[in-house]
Amino acid sequence: MPSPASALAIDAREVAKTFRSGWLRPRETAALRGATLAVPRGAIVGLLGPNGAGKTTFLSILATLLIPDRGTVRVLGLDVVRDSMALRRRLNMASGRPSFLWSLRVAEIVAFYGRLYGLSGAALRARVDALIEQYELTPYRRVPYSELSTGLKQRVALAKSLVNDPELLFLDEPTLGLDPDVSMRVRAHIAALRRERGVTILLTTHYMREAEELCDEVAFIKAGRILDAGTPDELKRRIGLGDVIALRLEPAAPAWLAEAPGVLRCASADGWTKCTVDDAEKRLPDLLRQLFAEGVTVRNVRVREPELEEVFVELAR
Amino acid sequence: MSWRADLLAVWAVVVRNALMASRNVFFFFELLFWPIVGVVSIGLMTKFLGITPAQASFVLIGTIALSVVNVCQLEVAYAVLMDVWSKSIKHQFLAPIGIRHLTVGSWVVGMVRGSLLFTLLAVLAWWAFDFRVLAAGGGAVGLFLFGCFLNAWIVGVFVCALITLFGNRAEAFAWASVNLVLVLAGIYYPVSVLPEPAATLARAIPLTYFLDAYRSHFGFASEFAAPIATGLALSVVYAVVAHLAFYASVQRARRTGLLLKMSE
Repeated sequence: MPSPASALAIDAREVAKTFRSGWLRPRETAALRGATLAVPRGAIVGLLGPNGAGKTTFLSILATLLIPDRGTVRVLGLDVVRDSMALRRRLNMASGRPSFLWSLRVAEIVAFYGRLYGLSGAALRARVDALIEQYELTPYRRVPYSELSTGLKQRVALAKSLVNDPELLFLDEPTLGLDPDVSMRVRAHIAALRRERGVTILLTTHYMREAEELCDEVAFIKAGRILDAGTPDELKRRIGLGDVIALRLEPAAPAWLAEAPGVLRCASADGWTKCTVDDAEKRLPDLLRQLFAEGVTVRNVRVREPELEEVFVELAR
Repeated sequence: MSWRADLLAVWAVVVRNALMASRNVFFFFELLFWPIVGVVSIGLMTKFLGITPAQASFVLIGTIALSVVNVCQLEVAYAVLMDVWSKSIKHQFLAPIGIRHLTVGSWVVGMVRGSLLFTLLAVLAWWAFDFRVLAAGGGAVGLFLFGCFLNAWIVGVFVCALITLFGNRAEAFAWASVNLVLVLAGIYYPVSVLPEPAATLARAIPLTYFLDAYRSHFGFASEFAAPIATGLALSVVYAVVAHLAFYASVQRARRTGLLLKMSE
């Protein structure tokens, strides 16, 4: 029976990293201040946080590109510093701001990295062809990287990141700056990677909908610390944001509405009165009954759960 | 890492550098334009000054050696420079390869380019100035070229170390470093004419010995005892130091975050 540790693709504890710069006036920037994160194997986990929160630094440490100052980091059961070479064979990374050698063509880029990961001959050709086809790059395989659009560059980065068939994939803002239709296709590819190949994925994103759609779990990072982690639903419950009941009333909302049992707050805008309640299913019948009793006409009702974005705003505050 | 994986990683770098070289107009200038300008202008100067054919051969050997070392060391520096320019350096350090694969792969391409250049300049020097650089024989030419390539690798790896230590700011070293060798290693004059402190430095440069050994085939008395052995021994020491310096600077870049700053 596997131990809990071996069930984790990433087990990072109290990771700290401070960057130092300047010769005459040395400056220190604490990027990570004891970040702790556990990612189960086969999961897609989102690392969310405001700009400068430490997302990319954390990802880079996990991917062996940076050496942490403090803390223990085990990835796929290996130590990221001591076993970095063995680990690199089993992971890969793609970024939303990809950059490769400008004058190399699409197929040459994928083949170059394929060789670095030990592929050659027919196996290399088959792998390059499969990835180019998978990411719909066939018409561009002989096009130099510098002539590709942003979306195509990102697809090349994703193709390159799969060249070694990684067990663990780091995606740093994979849909940054992409058109909505391309973003959707990239998200579908990411979901398929986990579904079809069981790849563990840790991604950073600024798009909460993307995190909600793709991720089994999300972790919020701010000022170098993981503030909270869990499934999107768990986080919403833990933060206690409540559900939103939006009402279109005639005449306008009565004053007692904001004081009604279970109502956390009320605000009116554009003809809608939005009441945040602790539990919509429990409170909505009582509210409607009271409004009806007072002769207020309810023209429309919408109920929605809080979005991850609201959790983000709350935690980032 | 298995031998096969080692060779594949080196081959990956060879293919990459060769492809890049074939598509960059500046490589044409490095390979042909500047070296030809150098040999032609120095050759014409020897005619204008009316120096003896032996003295002319002394200078032309130095000119050709300088071009060969320069082209080869730049190629070794491209192991890092090309990725720094295109901001893609993190990808190659994310892959399971060592710095030896990068530098040796680039060196192989550098040696091919250096050999092509040597042949071209030898033909040019023979045609334009009646100087037969190949007259020393195949073995001597081979040893001389190998010495030049070893020096190129050492200088190139030191440049890679400086770039990963200081970032883009150190780029100028790629072009400037070979000029330091030019002053000290006796490219245009024997080491004996240098003032003593500079001569001491010259004796610490392996290329000095390979030039000395090759010129002895053209009638110049050797200034050093066993120059080939001394040059090889010094090269081994510098090669180890250069490799360790590059390794240490990459590790430092992983600690300071420079590796990321130079990427995407």
